[in-house]
Amino acid sequence: MIANPVSSPTAVARQWFLARSDLEALIQALRKSGRRVIGPTVREGAIVYDEIESAAALPVGMRDEQSAGRYRLTERSDDRAFGYTVGPTPWKRYTFPPDLPIATAHRVGSVGFDQAKLDAPALAFLGVRACEIAALAMQDRVLLGGQFTDEDFRARRKAAFIVAVQCTTSSSTCFCSSMGTGPEVRNGYDILLTEIDEGFVVQAGSPAGAAIVALLPTRRPTHAETGAAVDSVEAVRTQMGEPLPIAGIDERLKHQLDNPHWGVVAERCVECGNCTMSCPTCFCTSVTERSDMEGRTSVTERQWDSCFDVNFAKVAGGDFRSRPRDRYRQWLTHKFSSWMDQFGSFGCVGCGRCITWCPVHIDVREELQAIAPVIQPIERPVAVEPVAASPGSYSIARLASVREETEDTTTLCLTDLDPAFLAGRPGQFVMVALPAFPAVPISISRFRANGIDLTIRAVGPTSTALVNLHPGAKIGVRGPLGTFWPIEDAYGRHAVVVAGGVGLSPLHGLVEALVANRDRFESVSLFYGSRTPEDQLFREDLARWTAGKVIDVAVTVDRAGPEWKGRVGVVTTLFDMMSCDCSKVTAFVVGPERMMQASVQLLISKGVVPDRINVSMERHMECGIGLCGHCQTGPFFVCKDGPVFCLSELGDMYVREGI
Amino acid sequence: MASTGKAVRPRVAVAKFASCDGCQLTILDLEEQLLEIVTRFDIVEFPEATSRHSPGPYDVVFVEGSVSAPEHLDQIKALRKQARFLVTIGACATAGGIQALRNWADHDAYRAAVYEHPEWIESLAKATPVTDHVKVDAELRGCPIDGGQLLELLTAVLVGRRPQIREEAVCYECKRKGIVCMVVATGEACMGPVTTSGCNALCPTYARGCFGCFGPRTGANAKSWSTGLLRSGRPPEEVWRLFAGFTGYAEPFRTVLTELGKAKD
Repeated sequence: MIANPVSSPTAVARQWFLARSDLEALIQALRKSGRRVIGPTVREGAIVYDEIESAAALPVGMRDEQSAGRYRLTERSDDRAFGYTVGPTPWKRYTFPPDLPIATAHRVGSVGFDQAKLDAPALAFLGVRACEIAALAMQDRVLLGGQFTDEDFRARRKAAFIVAVQCTTSSSTCFCSSMGTGPEVRNGYDILLTEIDEGFVVQAGSPAGAAIVALLPTRRPTHAETGAAVDSVEAVRTQMGEPLPIAGIDERLKHQLDNPHWGVVAERCVECGNCTMSCPTCFCTSVTERSDMEGRTSVTERQWDSCFDVNFAKVAGGDFRSRPRDRYRQWLTHKFSSWMDQFGSFGCVGCGRCITWCPVHIDVREELQAIAPVIQPIERPVAVEPVAASPGSYSIARLASVREETEDTTTLCLTDLDPAFLAGRPGQFVMVALPAFPAVPISISRFRANGIDLTIRAVGPTSTALVNLHPGAKIGVRGPLGTFWPIEDAYGRHAVVVAGGVGLSPLHGLVEALVANRDRFESVSLFYGSRTPEDQLFREDLARWTAGKVIDVAVTVDRAGPEWKGRVGVVTTLFDMMSCDCSKVTAFVVGPERMMQASVQLLISKGVVPDRINVSMERHMECGIGLCGHCQTGPFFVCKDGPVFCLSELGDMYVREGI
Repeated sequence: MASTGKAVRPRVAVAKFASCDGCQLTILDLEEQLLEIVTRFDIVEFPEATSRHSPGPYDVVFVEGSVSAPEHLDQIKALRKQARFLVTIGACATAGGIQALRNWADHDAYRAAVYEHPEWIESLAKATPVTDHVKVDAELRGCPIDGGQLLELLTAVLVGRRPQIREEAVCYECKRKGIVCMVVATGEACMGPVTTSGCNALCPTYARGCFGCFGPRTGANAKSWSTGLLRSGRPPEEVWRLFAGFTGYAEPFRTVLTELGKAKD
């Protein structure tokens, strides 16, 4: 026989079954024990916690529907007594009253100050949820866990008997599962009820709880009943999922004090204080002295206050948090960051009251994700294995169509290709061969569903022969080859594309990808310079990008006739249009070598870091697979290790003559 | 004791401009404290209570009502010169009051519509708060004012400190009283979030939305609140009426109303 089964680690907590009709017996037993019962009851269109005298006051058959700024009561199809989540009342109303006289003072005869006598009523809280138990524990740490304590709170906490209830439903505003405070009640209760179809599975969490349970008309629960109790809590956890990715948010917020989004949310916030007043953990108060007309005796009244109040951080000389954005930031960073530093936990239990009771529908979960988003590990694509990757070997493609871009530049649309080409990435190139002509490297300017485009300037024998081909012609291709643009490096940043002349060709696929994923970038800008207006490539696409205002497009020409109304000058003259924070720029640069060097130098002088500048280098290539040696540059074969390089990889090789 | 008390009693005057006298009645409603008040203050002018007059200077002048008629312009300046502390009381004196609604309307047309002999009526085109004309030392908000705040102000005068009057949203009072927010729970319109407290959430206590009689609190985000009300499906006319109560002429309600007026046109 075990002397003290409760202390045995192997003992399963004793469980009882209480019929729903016997809830009244519980309430009356609590009342007979000298406690006033505070429990859920319907008032003013919501389930609030008020004093109740019998089970008839409970919200039987009621449920709540909650979303940001909205709460509605509806009827359930059953007669459950706790089939709702949490209402507007935080339990702190009873442990940390909203209005409390804490002292008196007098100057009759001599000056004296007297603390108010502790007068904590014996209360039984009926229907306390997991998040609420966590909130009481948080206030315990704040008000009792430090060097200085709130003895009124201690007395009220001690005098409170807690009848917890497992949540068997959740609201859209609930996020206890994210905060690690629920939905399951694990401790901190005197009695724990889990509501199932027929009644309640009951557990006692303290000797006082066991004493009350002993008075109730309980029986042993069946296995089906205890199983149903466990399943219903698990179902809530599944239903809730993971509404807020919380891990590391306290640290992330510390780096977001200057995030402009504080101003965005402050434009919506009306600073009504409803979030803090409804919050079960917020503990800020102010005191007011009420005196007789001569000021001989006074009463010090403590009232709930809020950091949203315009006077909360004021001193005689001014206000430390004068702007609404300061106050919003104060609240949110305290709840999710500095509370951790002060008290070792978040200051939020995920009850969702601040969301539901915000009259302008602000959802802290959305604001947190806007201000301190989870940095998703970026999946970097791996280059596809090229085909025909040995000297003299080529795969055959068919020329589908030919499109003249400018007088000397033509786009060839290839189809009937090996699928590897379709899996290439913007920035990669192919070696193109025709019988009797030396093979040439050509960058892929566009990826289509069934083919790729090569945009070619006719400058040598092979390129001239290529642009004179007719649709249907067969061409030898090797690829896709080389490195590609690291688009992911620009996620959440300002993507700046700088193109000179035919350099837009290897960038064209990149710009299409930036446009297609526009939401992932803070901004996207294209600076494009060409010799003359007639030399502009992809004019239809430029017009489309400009017209849609999806990205910012700025073009310039070196020289132009009088009909040209745009900018004249080298492409770097467009850089004065960059108004963004240059430390958040990821740049992609292609063009003639001189133009690239000038662009890179100007970008660096504007504050763009070399790690975030990517260039595509042009070198003599004959094989494209690092065997012929032509393109060797320092430690690199440009064909294989490039052509796309990060500037910091290249170091000072980039600007050095003769490498 | 009584005689020495009398000798130092501050001289108090109550003055009335365009108003309904409701704030003066609030003073008289302080029945239990009236004796103590008159023991400690020498109330020498009080049109709602006595026809007795006594010239200034006064230690404290409570001004009820807005500046609405031509003669008010000089009267308020003269009164200011006689007052050590000038305290405006009520929505009319502090915000222009309900009569300031004419500030968005055609004054002459209103006058002609209401009075049989509009030519007999001398009134200014705009009703304005006292603070538009003279320096004001303190104000008690509300329509009418709150007796408790008045007592606190009188006490502060006697004790020699600033009155401890909060300037928080009415929502704070609702939450402390445990009133369920009707904006959220039933979809009622309410001006509580942008309105200064002091009424102890009187209207919400009786299941009615706040109608803003204490006026906009410092820094009230009236723009967000009006935008939210419009977005909830309320027509601009209804939102206009919500802001255009007793304190609509006070900023930032005034700007909201002017912009809503433009939107209506």
